[in-house]
Amino acid sequence: MSEAAEPSGAFVSHGTVATGMLGPEGVVATLAPTGFLPKKGKGIGITFWICAGWVLFMILLALLASVLPLKAPNFQDYSSVNIGPSARHLLGTDDLGRDLLARVIFGSRVSLVIGFAPVLIGLVIGGMAGLLAGYRSGPADTVLNAVSFVLLAFPALLAIMVIETFWKPVTLLKLTIMFAFVSAPLLFRVIRATTLSFSSREFVVAARATGAKTSRLLLRELLPNVLPAAVSFALIGVAIAIVLEGSLAYLGLSIGLPTSSLGNIINDGVNSNNLSLNPYIALWPSLYIFLLLTALNLMADRLRSYFDLREVSL
Amino acid sequence: MLRFIATRLVQLVVICFLISVFAFLLVHLLPGDPTLAILGPNDTPAARAVLLHQLGLNKGLLSQYGTWIINILHGNLGASFLTKQTVSNALGVAVPIDLELVIVSQVLALLVAIPMALVAALRPNRIFDRVATTSTFAMLSLPTFVAGPLLVLVFAVTLKWVPATGFNRLSQGFGPNLKSVILPSVALAIGSITVYYRLLRADLIATLQEDFVTMARSKGLSTRYILMRHVMRPSSFSLLAGAGISIGTLFTGAFVVEVLFQLPGIGFQLVNAIYGRDYLVVQGMALVAAVAFVVVNFGVDFLLTVLDPRVRRA
Amino acid sequence: MADSADRYDRRAFLARGATTAAALGLAGVGLPTLLSSCSSTTNNKATPRLSAPGIGTGKPKRGGTITVGLNSEIDGFLPSTNHFDNSGLTYANSVYDTLTMIAADGSAKPYLATSVTPNPDLTVWTITLRPGVTFHDGSPLNADVVLANIQSLQASALTGQALKGVVSTMVKVSDMSVAITCSEPIVAFPHYLATQVGYVVGMAQLESQSSTKPIGTGPFSLVEWVPNDHMTVQRNPHYWRAGLPYLDGVTYRPIAEDQSRENSLKSGTIDLMVTRDPNAIRDLQHDSGYQVVRNPSVGQNDMDFVILNTSVDPTNDLVVRQALAHAIDVDQLVKLFGAGIAKPNLSLFAPGSPYRTADNGYPKYDLAKAKALVAQAAPNHGGSIKISLATITDPRLLNEIQAIASMWELAGITTTISEVEQVTFIDNLVTGHFQAYTDEMFAATDPDLNYVWMSPTTANPPIALNFSRNKDDALEAALQQGRTSSDPAVRIKAYQEVDKRLSADLPYLWASQATWSLMGSNSVENFNNLTLPDGSAALGFASGTFDPTPAWRKD
Repeated sequence: MSEAAEPSGAFVSHGTVATGMLGPEGVVATLAPTGFLPKKGKGIGITFWICAGWVLFMILLALLASVLPLKAPNFQDYSSVNIGPSARHLLGTDDLGRDLLARVIFGSRVSLVIGFAPVLIGLVIGGMAGLLAGYRSGPADTVLNAVSFVLLAFPALLAIMVIETFWKPVTLLKLTIMFAFVSAPLLFRVIRATTLSFSSREFVVAARATGAKTSRLLLRELLPNVLPAAVSFALIGVAIAIVLEGSLAYLGLSIGLPTSSLGNIINDGVNSNNLSLNPYIALWPSLYIFLLLTALNLMADRLRSYFDLREVSL
Repeated sequence: MLRFIATRLVQLVVICFLISVFAFLLVHLLPGDPTLAILGPNDTPAARAVLLHQLGLNKGLLSQYGTWIINILHGNLGASFLTKQTVSNALGVAVPIDLELVIVSQVLALLVAIPMALVAALRPNRIFDRVATTSTFAMLSLPTFVAGPLLVLVFAVTLKWVPATGFNRLSQGFGPNLKSVILPSVALAIGSITVYYRLLRADLIATLQEDFVTMARSKGLSTRYILMRHVMRPSSFSLLAGAGISIGTLFTGAFVVEVLFQLPGIGFQLVNAIYGRDYLVVQGMALVAAVAFVVVNFGVDFLLTVLDPRVRRA
Repeated sequence: MADSADRYDRRAFLARGATTAAALGLAGVGLPTLLSSCSSTTNNKATPRLSAPGIGTGKPKRGGTITVGLNSEIDGFLPSTNHFDNSGLTYANSVYDTLTMIAADGSAKPYLATSVTPNPDLTVWTITLRPGVTFHDGSPLNADVVLANIQSLQASALTGQALKGVVSTMVKVSDMSVAITCSEPIVAFPHYLATQVGYVVGMAQLESQSSTKPIGTGPFSLVEWVPNDHMTVQRNPHYWRAGLPYLDGVTYRPIAEDQSRENSLKSGTIDLMVTRDPNAIRDLQHDSGYQVVRNPSVGQNDMDFVILNTSVDPTNDLVVRQALAHAIDVDQLVKLFGAGIAKPNLSLFAPGSPYRTADNGYPKYDLAKAKALVAQAAPNHGGSIKISLATITDPRLLNEIQAIASMWELAGITTTISEVEQVTFIDNLVTGHFQAYTDEMFAATDPDLNYVWMSPTTANPPIALNFSRNKDDALEAALQQGRTSSDPAVRIKAYQEVDKRLSADLPYLWASQATWSLMGSNSVENFNNLTLPDGSAALGFASGTFDPTPAWRKD
């Protein structure tokens, strides 16, 4: 399928970065390799590993937050209000005297969970469904396809806002579920499309001809080939989820007090007088998100370049 | 071809129908008594009677849905119970604003992205290309809720070049109108620039490697001439694809931008309606917003598949 | 810093004088302060003001329009059914007139009425109307209209409750006068006629009950209202006050977010703004590019406080309320959120008010005492005290409850905080579904106007206007005395007693006076110089309510 598609999909094959929701069928989102291919034979490139390491580091910090020698994120020290970075407070304090380093790290827990959990759920559920559907087309495939089509057509932010209107109060669990609903169909389609493109290839046909069981086929032959595209997309999905949570927080519709996510902290930092009085409140979480998004985007990008992922018509 | 159009139209209608069902069920999914929830402190026997008549809550669910749909088709999308303003009136204010935001922001994005992509494609992997690609990458990682307040702080508050909030109608003069729209459009354009740039650049690079280009070069035509005359047109489809992808980010970004700059577009009105528990308005507005999103997506997708002979029609 | 100096031209630099020096002096503090101080000094109209802010010098100029930024949007123009918060009153002031108006000294003087006179025992008030006044639709002001207005207020669920204890019957005495009988002698009755109750709405609007098309006798008439966007009014050419208003029209823009509104003023998008954000006052009060009008010291100002529901557990326990009061370090709270402008005020009344005693007995900050009281009360409430504290979606208030919650936690009170939307917030106050909320109210030109919000008589379900639902007989006695005695000395003693009773019973945990202010750029003149028909000064801006009648444009 990909061979036949090469000349026809000139622009489609060098798709685009999916920074938003995908359009329904036809146009697609694979992510455009930047063209900075790693030198021949050199593996996926040092950039990928640096980024991966950075993301892992952020995750580790978040996981170990309670064990690290951080100040309590909610402790209000009224004698140290709005202090800039100093010895006692490495990143400074906010307008209630709370240590910003602690707030960012504890806040990142929420943001990382919202970023990764729904996508992981989506990968597992959507991914498994996609593998099966792509390999064995049938009535189940048609139904799932239609369902995902409908779910994808609806704008995510709108759906979440509207659901939140009556599903109060907003908690981490509820947001995770809603985000998972949004990411699962996406991943389903990506994996299904990629699986479809592989399932007619010679090595699969050969495997089937030698009498391999379906599960073995799926796991041994298809999955490793589908994984790069899936992971690449999933990384973008994480980026989208994090931005979505931030946008919701800006609209005041993210997780309620007193939980802070990075989005909530930024919202706090750019509202009322804080931006001009103490820009650090907004600066550190924004920087964190910026670095995290950059790392994720770069990783996705390198994956695509390395595996030379091409057109995937959804 | 006709079959293709027909299938697409059917899909469109089905999705719109599902959206309408979802929007309709909204009010009925409210916990507790919906009239109580909607009326709030205005709960008087007279008000209740009016609302019951409006919602038709005493009839069966199916007949209520039918009445609602018929009302909508006649242009009656409901009204705010508080301010009595009809959703159609509110839309009359909102739609021109959203249209202008979309047009201006996309024009800005294209004005930046196209020249950048052209230069980068002419000299791939050189300094300009690397700088441009890196900076657009950075733009990808800068969410609207961070970029927006920063832009306001610099351009509206400090430099006073443009107003910090509010929308000036075209009737008040072209100058004031543009001034009130430029900053929000810049905030929105940031997300789209990357999409257009990467798509166009990749496409241009690929097309430049094609045979007919090599032939034109061998005939002695300058690369610049070739770019303009022979390459831009086929590559412009990638811009259309980019527009399709941008719609997703635009949607999310517009909500944030409208709230930040207090522009009474659909996003702003919807957020206010959700805060004010104005469920009927939420219902009507969400329906319109979702249908608009779907229709535009379908439209772009349709144009792409119809206009570009290279894309397979799956 | 040289960078920002380049932005001023030479003239501005010289004219700025002290302001520039101050701005430059702040440079060492760092970028943020630099930005905020520079932003306010690039205004070129730099000559220092010779007169008080909001008071115009020179001849009034006719014509032009101004744009005013308000802090909230209203839900309609009908006094009997819509919520008239400070924005509602401001909108109403443009299109309606009240029967009486408050003078600069705090007394109520006739406005749309020519006289409001009581009988000897203050139970029947005769209101004589001004002749020759017409509504925007041409219909005349007469006794029938006024009666219809008050009847519609009585008939409404919302205002009927508030009016029940004030007005009992009314009769038409003549074509241009009515007599209102109050349920008891109410000394401050004329003051009521200057509030929401006193707006006179045209007969046609009363009949249609329209909340979107106001018909009044006011200085301006409605052009268009697009909710959440703007409201435009234009001059009423037949206004009964000759020569007024000066402006051709006014546009109001509701901008809910304080910082956004301030930014709009600074960037010139709006000419005038109403705000209660102390940060804005701190930013602009010394800037000669803006005129900052603070709340007047006449009468009572809005108070910022935490309201406790005395009818639910555990806030129904006086010991618990005392613990909550002792646990809040009000000085610290005000220091954190008052921007150096707000001051702690542990009383219903402002400093300088005759109704305030030297010591009203309000509990002072004492953490040890709070802990002891918590320990004492806990066994009666299942072993621990749990409170939920909420506020509306306002960034400053959300931060404030986090601070208060932390202070309560230190005393051993388990506090959960949450955010509630405005509409639900009001609902919950009215129906009693809350434990502790932050609130802001009690602005009044006469203390009796707050009777309905504090009296035990309005503390009963289902809709209680005394949100705290406290039933204190001594409080009621004092309120009654203040209401019915015409002897000022007796009234003073009575309201001092009210303050003492509130400090003892603790339905409200005081923090500070609300820092309302009206700020205009130098393009608007005379916006705080409201006068009565006889030329004497009226009380202009107060507690967030503004009247555009006397304003004119500078340019």
